[in-house]
Parts: sequence; C-alpha cells; structure tokens
Amino acid sequence: MFDNFLIRKDSLENEQDENGNVIGFKFAARNANYRGVYLSLHNGYYIKVDGVQYKRDVQTFEINGKAPRTFEEIKTAVWEHWDYDDEGIIHVAKEGGLAPGKHVIEFQQSVLAAYGYLPTDEEWVKCPPEPGTGAGSDKTKNIVTYELELQR
Amino acid sequence: MGKIKRGVSLYSYQQAQFFKELDLEGQIREVGTNLFGADGIELLDEMGLRHYPNPPEEFFTQWFGWMEKYNTTPVTMDVFCDVLQFRDHVMSYSECADRLKSDIRLAKKLGFKNVRTLATTPAEVMIEALPVAVECDIKLGKEIHAPIPINGQYVNEIVEYCQKTGTKHLGLVPDWGIFAFRPSEVTLDWYVRQGAKRESCDLVTELCMDNYLGKSNELNDIDLSLYTAGNVESMFHRYLKHGDAPADLIPAFNKMQKMIRENVPDYTDIDFEVMGQALLLSRTKAEDLKSIMPYIVSIHGKFYNMSEIPGKPGTYQDIAIDYERPIQFLKENGYEGYINSEYEGQRRFQDRGVEDLISEVDQVRKHQEMLKRLIGE
Repeated sequence: MFDNFLIRKDSLENEQDENGNVIGFKFAARNANYRGVYLSLHNGYYIKVDGVQYKRDVQTFEINGKAPRTFEEIKTAVWEHWDYDDEGIIHVAKEGGLAPGKHVIEFQQSVLAAYGYLPTDEEWVKCPPEPGTGAGSDKTKNIVTYELELQR
Repeated sequence: MGKIKRGVSLYSYQQAQFFKELDLEGQIREVGTNLFGADGIELLDEMGLRHYPNPPEEFFTQWFGWMEKYNTTPVTMDVFCDVLQFRDHVMSYSECADRLKSDIRLAKKLGFKNVRTLATTPAEVMIEALPVAVECDIKLGKEIHAPIPINGQYVNEIVEYCQKTGTKHLGLVPDWGIFAFRPSEVTLDWYVRQGAKRESCDLVTELCMDNYLGKSNELNDIDLSLYTAGNVESMFHRYLKHGDAPADLIPAFNKMQKMIRENVPDYTDIDFEVMGQALLLSRTKAEDLKSIMPYIVSIHGKFYNMSEIPGKPGTYQDIAIDYERPIQFLKENGYEGYINSEYEGQRRFQDRGVEDLISEVDQVRKHQEMLKRLIGE
C-alpha cells in the first residue's frame, strides 16, 4: 500500500561530512502500513539505485529527532515507537554520492510486524530476513520503482 | 427489535491521515458531522495516537473535548501485538498479555467500552489479560476476519470459555469481510493494472460465484481457518517468488495455480495471485451468526467499494459483500451494538498518481447511507 508514495519525491539529496566531502545520499520514507510500529521491528531496506544495490550495512535510519542509527542499533529500540504520521530519513553511505540529475530507485521496506505469531518467527530472531525478498513487506509486496531527481 | 448503532473505524481514513488531509480531530469531526447520526468511534491505537503507548496527559483532555464537541462516543479500540518487538526472542504469551493489559488500561483512560485483539491472538493471552478487562469494565473481543469462519477453532475457543465461566468481558468482533462472496472489482482492476489477465479475474469471480450460489464446491474443502487474509496473501506471494510456504497451505496454493495453468493462456505469476483471492473468503452465511450472537462485542463494517445501485440514484452497495441478509439477521435477533464502517479499498488506487486516489470520506458516507437504509432508521 501507498506504493508510489513511500518515498517523498523531492527528498533525494547528497550528503557531505564536516570537511565538505560527499559521503553518500539520503531520502525520506514513510512506514508502508496503516499504523505505526515499535521501531525495533524495522529491519532495513532493499535499495537499488541505477542498478547498484546498497545493502543494510551501508544504510542508517533517522527518526524521532535522533541521529541516524544502524539497523543493529534500531533493533535495540524495543520501547521506542515509530508513529504512523512520521517520516524517517534513510541515509546511504557512498563515497562521492550520486551524480546530478534523475535516478531510478528500486525500493522495498522490511518491517517485521505481523498479525500475531508466524511460522517464521524463530528463524527471523536468529537470522533476520534479507530486505527485498518480500519478508516484512506484507502491505507492499512488490519492489517499487521510483524516478527521482537529485535535489542537491 | 434491537436498535443497531452506527459508527466508523478510523482505519477508514488511513490514507487521509497518511497525506495529512485529515488529522485525528478531522476524522472525528467527519464522523460526528456528516454521517447522518453516526456517533461511534473505533480507534487503532498505533495509527491514531501520537506517542503511543504513552500519549501526553493533555491529549486525554483534548480527546474528551472532541467527543463532546462532535457528539461522538468511543466504542472500540483496536490493538496489535508484533511478537518480534524484542528481536532477541519471540514474545511469550505472558509478554503478549502484558502488552494487552497495558492497552486495555489505555483504552479505559480514553473512555472506550471494548478492546479488539487480532484474530490470531491466542485465547490464552486474552484469558491472562481478562482480570484487567474486568477491573476496567472493558469487553475484550477477538476479531473474526476472513478467511476465518464463524465455526472455526479460533471462535470456538472463545465461545467455550465464555460458556464455561459466564464472563461478560470476553467475546468476538466479527469483520464483515466474512460475508464477502467474491473478490472486489477494485481489487481485480488493481491486479489487471499490475499485469494480470482479465481472464484470470473472470475465472476467480466465476469460481467464487459458483461456490456462493451452490453450483460448485471447489472451495469448500480448503480450510485456512487459522490464517489471516494478509498472511495468506503474503505467504502465497513468497511461495511464488521463493518456493517457500507452511506445508498446510501448499495444497490450496497448488490448486489455484492449476486452475490458472489449465484455463488462462500466457499466464504469469500474478495471475496465480488473482486466483489466490478465492482463498481469502470465509464463505459465511447470515444465519451462521446465530451461535455467536451473545458474544458479539461490536462489528467491523468492512467494505471494499461502494457503487450506486443501478436504477436507484443516491443509494449504494458493495457488490462483493452481502450486507442485506446479515443486517436483517442482526435486527431480528436483537443486536443492539455498533457496526463501525471499515473501508479497505483505498490501497487499490495507490498504484498511480495522486489524481487517481479515491476519497475515503466519500466512500464512508456512501457506506453509512447503506447501513442507515438497511438498519431501517
């Protein structure tokens, strides 16, 4: 659900460190559900930009007014809630960032929320699923493709 | 004859909230102002509340102010339980019960009379939380959601416990989706835009209608009574993509695949998913409500698409769901609780631009027209 609206269209930007070096890019996303969830359930993203995949180890997530956190840190936010209304910022580390102009982003969110107990529960505790397989994306089952203009 | 009351689950306005067109107050205002006397509010805690599970104190004052201002009343609060919250272990039944107890107390503080749990919440969890429900005088209701039937295990467990103990604080929240007899036209149109063949849509509609009208019993030996619709859909999707599914679901999945293979030329995976829509029906009849009448806490008026009844301008129906007979049955059997509109068709319009989104406000108004007319107010 909200397939075409999960990424805010005007949110794609490169990011710089304090010395002015471009270290990656970021964009804003919403929870692909009709409700919020405990933040710990958020398991990362399948992100492919212009055919290049960026896995969880280069992703961080910014929400609730806190600095961007890795998904290993997010996992421990077991009492923090990601409210339905709130947009989060996904940061992707990539030296040099993205080139100016339009980019094709393939996107799927993985949030391990479910309607109660599932046969996969124990397995997902031991080994959380890889985002992009459909696991944790029950409301938006397909990978969605966006074309976004780099804002700066 | 009982007087059925009308309300709205704010689930109906999920899209308006997402796009910040209607905030919580705006949603309550719409219910109290534009729905010809509807007054019931059903709230999803993790959707409607900011700073769940601990809204600030001033929110509660604001909430009751809105109820008074718009002549509305809190009826049922819908709660959730994501069992991987702690990530280092699957939540135990006791941990789920702790969360439920805390949600019951929150519901009480917001003036709700009932708390709805998910269909898949184990009865043991509800029973463990029951003393808190009694203390707060809240009725705990387990949702009965398609494809779960009224005569299935999930329902029996609750009914048996109520009969054994005589408790007045446990029951059921039927979702009107159990009276759906075919996939909604908006669901099928969505699948066609995603690449499915129109022939597959016709095939699944025919299969469902033949079963509904008693011309076929192809669907009757399929029992998905322990799964929710959302989970069946996502598991079928995963099965098609990755060949992986719980063993008891595989025969039903294979059956749907076989029908497509034998009847639809040039099919692709998405055609199987269209056929899979047949697995989401409970095939419930109005009179099946008989056995659960005393245990109904409130009812979700689930609908997918309201369209004008041909030749009757200003009156509306959902062509995929039977509303007439179950409402008649509820009236004759003295049901005096709420039916809360629960619109779920919006997601079938979200695959295109903003200009193609559907108005939830308009759909709920049409649904309330139908409810009012069928209730006979």
